[in-house]
Amino acid sequence: MNVLEVKNLSVQYPGAEGASEIVKDISFTVEEGGITGIVGQSGSGKSTAMLAVMGLLDGRASVQYGQITVKGKAPVPGRNIAMIFQDSLSCLNPSVKIGRQITETVRMRKGCGRKEAAARAEELLETVGIRNPALRMRQYPFELSGGMRQRVVLAIALACEPDLIIADEPTTALDAVVQAQILQLLRRIVRETGTALLLVSHDMGVTAAMCRNVYVMHGGRIIEEGAAEDIFYDPSEGYTRQLLKDAKGGRLREREKRNVDDPANREDALIRMAHVTKIFDADEGIRDVSLEIRKGEILALVGESGSGKTTAARILTGMIREDKGRLYYRGQILQRGRRMDSFGGKVQMVFQDPYASLNPCLTVRQALSEALDAAAGLAGRGAVDGRTAGHRLTDQEKEERIRKILALTGLSYSDADRYPHAFSGGQRQRIGIARALITEPEVLVCDEAISSLDATTREQILELIFRVQRKIGFACLFISHDMHVVRRISDRIAVMYGGQIVETGRTKKVCSDPWHPYTKLLLEAVPEPDPVRAKKIKSGPVKEAAGTDLPDAAGGCCPFAGRCGYALECCRRERPEQYVFGDRGVSCLLYSDEHSGRRSSAYRMTSQI
Amino acid sequence: MARYTCRRILTGFLSLFVLITVTFFLVRIIPGSPFQRGGVSETVVEAIEQEYGLNEPLFTQYISYIGGVLHGDLGISYQDPSVRVTEVIARAWPVTASVGAAALIVSLILGTGLGILSAVSGRRSVKQMISAGGMIAAGIPGFAAAILLMLVFSVKLKLLPASGLLSPVHYILPVAALSLYPAAMVSRLVSSTLETELTKDYVLFARAKGLGRRQVIFTHALKNAYLPVINYIGPASASLLTGSFVVESIFTIPGLGREFVGSITNRDYTLILGLTVFMGAVVILVNLITDLLCAWLDPKTRRAYREERA
Repeated sequence: MNVLEVKNLSVQYPGAEGASEIVKDISFTVEEGGITGIVGQSGSGKSTAMLAVMGLLDGRASVQYGQITVKGKAPVPGRNIAMIFQDSLSCLNPSVKIGRQITETVRMRKGCGRKEAAARAEELLETVGIRNPALRMRQYPFELSGGMRQRVVLAIALACEPDLIIADEPTTALDAVVQAQILQLLRRIVRETGTALLLVSHDMGVTAAMCRNVYVMHGGRIIEEGAAEDIFYDPSEGYTRQLLKDAKGGRLREREKRNVDDPANREDALIRMAHVTKIFDADEGIRDVSLEIRKGEILALVGESGSGKTTAARILTGMIREDKGRLYYRGQILQRGRRMDSFGGKVQMVFQDPYASLNPCLTVRQALSEALDAAAGLAGRGAVDGRTAGHRLTDQEKEERIRKILALTGLSYSDADRYPHAFSGGQRQRIGIARALITEPEVLVCDEAISSLDATTREQILELIFRVQRKIGFACLFISHDMHVVRRISDRIAVMYGGQIVETGRTKKVCSDPWHPYTKLLLEAVPEPDPVRAKKIKSGPVKEAAGTDLPDAAGGCCPFAGRCGYALECCRRERPEQYVFGDRGVSCLLYSDEHSGRRSSAYRMTSQI
Repeated sequence: MARYTCRRILTGFLSLFVLITVTFFLVRIIPGSPFQRGGVSETVVEAIEQEYGLNEPLFTQYISYIGGVLHGDLGISYQDPSVRVTEVIARAWPVTASVGAAALIVSLILGTGLGILSAVSGRRSVKQMISAGGMIAAGIPGFAAAILLMLVFSVKLKLLPASGLLSPVHYILPVAALSLYPAAMVSRLVSSTLETELTKDYVLFARAKGLGRRQVIFTHALKNAYLPVINYIGPASASLLTGSFVVESIFTIPGLGREFVGSITNRDYTLILGLTVFMGAVVILVNLITDLLCAWLDPKTRRAYREERA
């Protein structure tokens, strides 16, 4: 029996040049007690269609349909149908306590009193796997982690006691490990409560892991539908095949990897961090981090949000100062205060949010020439290696540089006089990359530069970064929480957890044979676009936010001990240092001399787990 | 939070001290003496100045004035030696404050109401009317509005009294004249911020979980939309509470604003200083209250204040 039946749904928006049809005559059903998926890239009309089903589109949209019913009745938000969204932070009211946001839903649904609603809310929070619900109820959304907030959002949806929950990209903003936990939670809720789930996603892996039936959407139409196995193993449409290919990393996979070990390429580290520590107020930050970026390599820094990736990058670029430790640039110690000057514009950044990182008041040309001027000004104030002071470029030279860089980043020269709002997210990120590369940097830091883009755009930007990097040969620090991406683009990889680097090594080796338990967990959590393999993913021996119950998280133990399935008694007492084996380093006591036995120098260390 | 408040009060005292110092010396730059006028001879002026200690070096005068302020004594008025400055304030401020507070309340209620109406109304005409009305109200200078109101309601229609503050009815015109501008500003702020808030995801989510329209607006969106309003209304209420010279003159209200302007034309040093100190204190206090209110509304600000280290 079907919970949701949608027949011939169309959505139009009136525009200046006639109406534009966002959703074109789609029909779909959701089975009772099952998970149905809708997959497609952003802009395919998925979200609009879902809002139309909910009846939540604004007045400008005109919605036509033959039938939209939930168990034969009209859908009423908060009664028989509920919805959860991608960004759990913006979904929750920032200035209202978590508890109130749940209880008001309970009271609306059941018409019960405050006390009863509070009891029910605690029960719901427990259902979605939040420990200490009474404490969480008194907190505000920004005080919770991303995964916990998404659990709260789910608890609110469950408070409606609906027949169907529509989940619109519920895990897109989360890192792989948390994503796996939330997906597992969604599965459990469907199983235990019998609520049907309609999962909307751009991620083929997530869809494969979760859904029994899948609809593929493209350009406002449903172009293919069927059982998950049919769609993933035997797609009939070319577009579906393309999606699958992108998800498997088709285009970049066959690239030649530059051999970092080749002595010709092996040069001294361009930038090296040695034992850098920076602690913020709430004991967050990084602790004793050593890292080097070599000339012409792509070094990936991975880890969950809050693991200190961004802090490390900001210290490296001189945006914030370290508490302890040293930094070297081309073998020379960097002075703490004048780091930006020492770099002389040779270290550039690309940021995560292409919408927020471009000044809306500057045209592309202005933004680019400003970057050139700033770099020239910095170089003038004295570079470390004693290069001649940068001279101000003439207007003609500048124009030439701008033309070149736009061509290189796949933009056209005529774009130079347009403002950022005229571009799509992907194009804006190209502008951000152009702005960083126009000064011909030696190091490019990409801080989650592709995380906010959808799969196909992400693929294009990734390809761009890769192509330009190989062409110009700058070193790149690529920060990401997405193992899928990192695995394909980077030469070397450094995994961070709890403010420390837990594992480093060549990407290929680390990914095929992870040593540290956290790396292993991270790699296993990424769902493959393959229903049989993806469904096997378990989120591992992971407890929610268990790190907090450690006696001394500040330094007396391994940061991962609280969540580690292999933790020994000593993991809670001493902090592992980095153990180096050839070109790999791992910070785990399982690899210490003490626990793996004394070794001769010819001993080949293998995974201990 | 207590630490933050303490720190703010301390810095408040510091700024008050700077204010006194600057005003003290600025006032002395005004040419002429407070006792110089038509038929008074030089010798008499000198004699009086000696009596008030005005012949002493400026710095000595300054020290003795600061000493007085520390004891809560703002000196005596030079124009009317029978009253103390504190007495002038005690007499004039309640009048100003009552008119100002009334204007504040009216502009908040009116502005918020119209702002909400404009933001949630589906009809374009309502939006345009409120926006145009706000523009006009904000554009008319205070004195013109006051005279216009007086002309229409008391001179032509003879509905309302034109001057004095004898009964509640007397409050209507001055309060209306005073609240016109802040009401227009509040309404514009509320409508624009509320409109932005209503497009946010948490509003969509609140509707998706089945909350009614009214509940979404009042318990969710308005709370976030009100922050900028409070940041505006803080300084605005400071100026309302310290009195408007124009409105007080036109409606002959014996308030602080009138005293202030009178004291300047009379070169009444102590009164100028005393009123400045008092108004400064009011402004500092109101700003503190504003910041505490913001912290109460916005948990992030609250946490920032709480975690602030000395």
